[in-house]
Amino acid sequence: MSRSVEEILRTVRIDDLGRQHDHRVSPDTPLGEVYRVLDEKRHGAVMVCEDDRVVGIFTQRDILNRTAGKEVDVATPIGELMTREPVTLPADRRVAEALEVMVEGGYRHVPLIDAKGREAGLISSRVILRFIADHYPETVLNLPPRLHQQLARPEGG
Amino acid sequence: MRCPNCGTDNIQGSDLCERCGSDLAGLDLPAAGAGFRGKLLSARVGDLELTPPLAVGPETPVADCIAKMREAHHGCVLVLEDSRLRGIFTERDVLTRVVRPRLDPATPVAKVMTPKPYTLEPGDPPVFAVHMCAVRGLRHLPVVDDGKVVGFLSVRHLLRFVLEEVIAGS
Repeated sequence: MSRSVEEILRTVRIDDLGRQHDHRVSPDTPLGEVYRVLDEKRHGAVMVCEDDRVVGIFTQRDILNRTAGKEVDVATPIGELMTREPVTLPADRRVAEALEVMVEGGYRHVPLIDAKGREAGLISSRVILRFIADHYPETVLNLPPRLHQQLARPEGG
Repeated sequence: MRCPNCGTDNIQGSDLCERCGSDLAGLDLPAAGAGFRGKLLSARVGDLELTPPLAVGPETPVADCIAKMREAHHGCVLVLEDSRLRGIFTERDVLTRVVRPRLDPATPVAKVMTPKPYTLEPGDPPVFAVHMCAVRGLRHLPVVDDGKVVGFLSVRHLLRFVLEEVIAGS
């Protein structure tokens, strides 16, 4: 039997989606290194972990709000700039629940934990949207060509 | 998943029937028009909650753009010239083109914006926005009607739309 996408979102577990595992830094990681990771890996956020526990999160929005144009030393440990004790989700919950937490909290990234409370990856809005997009394969084929919109640089948005 | 030709029950997701070899590709996709699958295809971007954009001119200093974004809690500004969309400057650009290279904050935004950004039209189905965000990693999509910017759609609002449809379907 075929299932509707909302049914799938309510059944599939977060850890069945592509969880992201290379988003970890430690509290003493310098701000400049966090900049490099976010830029070069094209991440929207990093999890700050201590002994496998998620103690904080630092996102691109935090750069805008807390460091851009503010003369913050790039040697500053990220532990001093991060958002402490972010909302986390057990990795075995359903995708619909992650969606709900993201919408209600206005988050685009939620760190995941296992049954023992240890860091277990990160779920992002992009991964959820990609999962949804994968259920509309025919639409990709029908996307209208908009060649004038080719980016001169692979950036933005 | 039952083969429409011979009736054999195949493993979900099979491309060919194991008994008669009939083409099964696409059979396990949700039926067209069902629930929010239909909404994502049949609704229009113009019907969604669009955010009025922060508009700046090409000569606006980067520092002013950042201040506006911070104050309004927006992740982007749209760069307009003669009310035409010339480019977009986002929080990602703040990191990659301003903060990391230690750009002079007096620099005009035109030098660091992304020119000719991907845009939506009000008549586009929301699934177009889902694809742009999913495939290209975009988080802010200007909506342009007949050359005029009518707002932008953010990933946050797109997620809200999806969630509301999930709840409506439960």
